Amino acid sequence: MNLQLDSFKYDDTIVRKFLVATFVWGLVGMLVGLIIALQLAVPALNAAPWFSFGRLRPLHTNAVIFAFAGNAFFMGAYYSTQRLLKARMFSDALSTAHFWGWQLIIVSAAVTLPMGLTQAKEYAELEWPIDIAIAVVWVIFAVNFFGTIARRRERHLYVAIWFYIASIVTVALLHIMNNLSIPAGPFKSYSIYAGVQDAFMQWWYGHNAVAFFLTTPFLGMMYYFMPKAAERPVFSYRLSILHFWTLVFLYIWAGPHHLHYTALPEWASTVGMLFSVMLWMPSWGGMVNGLLTLRGAWHKVVEDPVLKFYVVAITAYGMATFEGPMLSVKAVNGLAHYTDWIIAHVHTGALGWNGFLTFGMIYWLMPRLFQTKLHSTKLAEAHFWFATFGIILYAAAIYSAGLTQGLMWRAFDETGRLQFPDFIETTVRLIPMYWVRALGGTLYIVGMLICGYNILMTWRSRPAVLEEPIIQAPPLRRRPTAEELGGTAGAHAGQLSGLAFHRRWEALPLTFTVWVVVAVVVASLFEMLPTFLIRSNVPTIASVKPYTPLELAGRDLYIREGCFNCHSQMVRPLRHETERYGEYSKPGEFIYDHPFLWGSRRIGPDLAREGGKYNDLWHVRHMEDPRAITPRSIMPPYAHLLSGRLDFEGIQKRVDVMAMLGVPYGDAVKHAPQMARAQARQMAAAIVEQGGQAGLEDREIVAMVAYLQRLGRDVKRGAVATTGVNHAGGQ
Amino acid sequence: MRLSDVVSHSGLSFYAEVALVLFLIAFVAIAIWIFRPGRRSEMDHMSRLPLDDGASASLDGTSSSDQAHHGAPAPRRTNR
Repeated sequence: MNLQLDSFKYDDTIVRKFLVATFVWGLVGMLVGLIIALQLAVPALNAAPWFSFGRLRPLHTNAVIFAFAGNAFFMGAYYSTQRLLKARMFSDALSTAHFWGWQLIIVSAAVTLPMGLTQAKEYAELEWPIDIAIAVVWVIFAVNFFGTIARRRERHLYVAIWFYIASIVTVALLHIMNNLSIPAGPFKSYSIYAGVQDAFMQWWYGHNAVAFFLTTPFLGMMYYFMPKAAERPVFSYRLSILHFWTLVFLYIWAGPHHLHYTALPEWASTVGMLFSVMLWMPSWGGMVNGLLTLRGAWHKVVEDPVLKFYVVAITAYGMATFEGPMLSVKAVNGLAHYTDWIIAHVHTGALGWNGFLTFGMIYWLMPRLFQTKLHSTKLAEAHFWFATFGIILYAAAIYSAGLTQGLMWRAFDETGRLQFPDFIETTVRLIPMYWVRALGGTLYIVGMLICGYNILMTWRSRPAVLEEPIIQAPPLRRRPTAEELGGTAGAHAGQLSGLAFHRRWEALPLTFTVWVVVAVVVASLFEMLPTFLIRSNVPTIASVKPYTPLELAGRDLYIREGCFNCHSQMVRPLRHETERYGEYSKPGEFIYDHPFLWGSRRIGPDLAREGGKYNDLWHVRHMEDPRAITPRSIMPPYAHLLSGRLDFEGIQKRVDVMAMLGVPYGDAVKHAPQMARAQARQMAAAIVEQGGQAGLEDREIVAMVAYLQRLGRDVKRGAVATTGVNHAGGQ
Repeated sequence: MRLSDVVSHSGLSFYAEVALVLFLIAFVAIAIWIFRPGRRSEMDHMSRLPLDDGASASLDGTSSSDQAHHGAPAPRRTNR
C-alpha cells in the first residue's frame, strides 16, 4: 500500500501572540476591577469624570469578557483546532488580521468607554463603529476557522470543534441582533428596539453572551486541554455530545430569567425559569465528565499545577451552573436580583471557571510554545493558591453583601413599615465587605503578577530559534482507498464510493453548522416573536409622552455618565419595592425608551419614580457633591455637569433619529434646540428661585435634572386620567 | 400585571408549551442517537483525537518523534 503523506507545520506564532494578549488584557481588566471595587469603598477615588465608577465599570466587564476571555478562547482554539484537524490554519494572513483587529477593538473600547461613549447595554456598550469592526473581525475569524475545517486531514470533528462552531455562529447572530441601532453621530446611536422589547433583546444577548462566549468556547477547550493534561481520553465521549446538544438547545431560552418581576410578560419569564432549571442537568453532566477524566490520575493533581487549575475551574463551573438555575427561580431571584449576589455569581464564573481554565492552559502551553521548561512550577503553585484564596475571599464577602442588602431591602418592622427606609443604610452596611472583596481581588492580581513573571522568564529561556516541527498526516482525499475497499475488482466501485464518502464528510461540518443555527434560531424566534408581536399589545398609557428635547439630552448624559450601572429604573411588583419607591413599573411606560435603562444592579436606589421627589436645586447640589446632601453616600460627584456646556444644536439630530424610530415628536423635529433652550431657561430660573446659583441655563446639569425630574411623572399624572382605560384593557 | 393579562388572552403562552414539547422530543432523539449501541469503536476513536494530534513537544522541549504513528494509514471502516 503506497500512501502519500502530507507534510505541514502548525502555526504556533499566532498562539503565542494570543497568549501574551490574554495575559496582558487579563491583568488590565482585573486592575480596573480592583479600582472600581475600591471606588465603592472610597468614593473619593472617583477622581475625574473619565475615572468614575459609571464609566470604568463597563471597561472592566468588557476587558475581562472580550479581551481576557476572548483572547484566551482564540489562544486555545488556534492551538487545538490545528491539531484536532491535522491542518495549519487556513490563512496566516487572516490569523494575523484577526489578532491585530481584535487588539485594536480592545484599545478602542479602552479609549471610548472612559469617554462616556456607550450604548448603555450591558456587555454591548461599544458604539456602532466599533460594533461594525467587531463583526468584521469575527467574520475574518470564521472564514479562517471554517477554511481550516475544509482543509482538514482528520475526517471526524472532535467535540471541541463542535463547541467552537456553535460559539462562532451564535456570537455572530447575538452581536448583530442586539446591536441594531440608528446612528445619531459618529459615536452615538439609538437602539432600534424600545422598552420591553429592548430589554428582552438585551438579555437574550446578555445571557447568551455568557453561554456562547464564556461557556461553550471554554467547554470546547476543556474537552481538549483536560485530556491532554491528564493524558487520557475524556471520561465519556457520548456524554460530551449530549452535553453539547442540550446546551445548544437550552441556553438560548434562558435569557428572560434576568428580567423576573419586571414588566416582562409572566409566561416569558416562566419559560425562562423552566429552561434555566433544565440547564442544570447538562451542565453538571459536563462537569462530571471533566472531573472523571482524571479517573486513575488524581495523584497527578498533587504535583501538576495545570491540573489543579483545571479541577478548580471545572468545580467553579459546576457551582456557577448550579447557582444559575437556582437564581432563575423567581422566589430566589426576587431576593437576589439587583444585589451583589449576582456580582458574586458572575465572579465565581469569571475568576473560577474562565480564569482558572485559562491559567491552566497558559501553564500547559508555555513549555510547548516556547520549547523549553516552565521557568518555575513552584511559582505556578503559588499563583494557584493566591488566586484560590482570592476567589474565596471575594466570594465570601460579596455573597454576604448580596444577602445582607437583599434582606435589608425587604425587611419590615413589627408595625408593617420598612425597617430600613433610607436606602443609604443598606449601602453603608456593605462597605466592610467591599474591603474584603478588594483584598480578595488583590490576591488574585498578585497571583497574576506571579504568572506574568513566570511567562517572562519562560520566554527568556526559549531556544534561540524556535523549532517548527514538520507534521505528517495522510490527506483526507485518499481515504478509503480502493485497496481498503477490496482488491482490483472493487477498484472502480471503490473510487466511486470514495468520492461519495468524500462528499459526505465534506458536507458534514456544513450540515452540523446548519443544525446548530437551526437550533439557535428556532429557539430564539420562539422566545422573541411573541414579544415583538405584542408590540401593539403593550397597553399604551395615554399620559406617557416622549421626552422633551432637553430631557432627551439629559437622558443621553445619564447614559454617558453610566448612571444605569448603579441605578435601576424598574420597580418590581413586590410590596417592599412599592413601599420604598412607589407604584410598580408598567410596560407601557417604556415605549419611547431607546434604549431601555432598567439596569441590573442597585448600588444606589431605583430611580423609576424619582421625578418630583425632590426639587431641582436638591438635584443640582446632589450631583455637584453627593456627600453634601447624603453624608455617607458612595456616589461619585458630577460637578463637571455644572461647568460643562450643553450642546443644544446637537439635540436636533438626536430628536430626528428618535422620530425616525417612531417616537411621535411632532413639532420638535423642526426646532428641538429652541424648545430645549426655553425649557432650560425655565429650569435655571426655578433653580435660582429655590436659592441656587444663577447661570445654569446653558449647562449640562439642567438637562440631567430635567430628565431625572421627568422619571415616573407621566404615570403619576395619568393615574387619574387613564385608570378606566387600563382596567378595561386588562379585564 | 397588565401585559401578561393581554398576552395570555391572546393565547401566546401556547408558544411556550410547543417549545417545551419540541425541546423534549429533540432531547430524547439526541439521547437515543448518541447512546445507540454498536458505536464503541467510533466513540473510542473520537475520544482519542486530542491525544493523537501529532507534534506534541514534551515538557523539556524536545519534539516527540511519533510521526510514524500518525502517518500510519490505520484503515478505519466507517460505519456511517
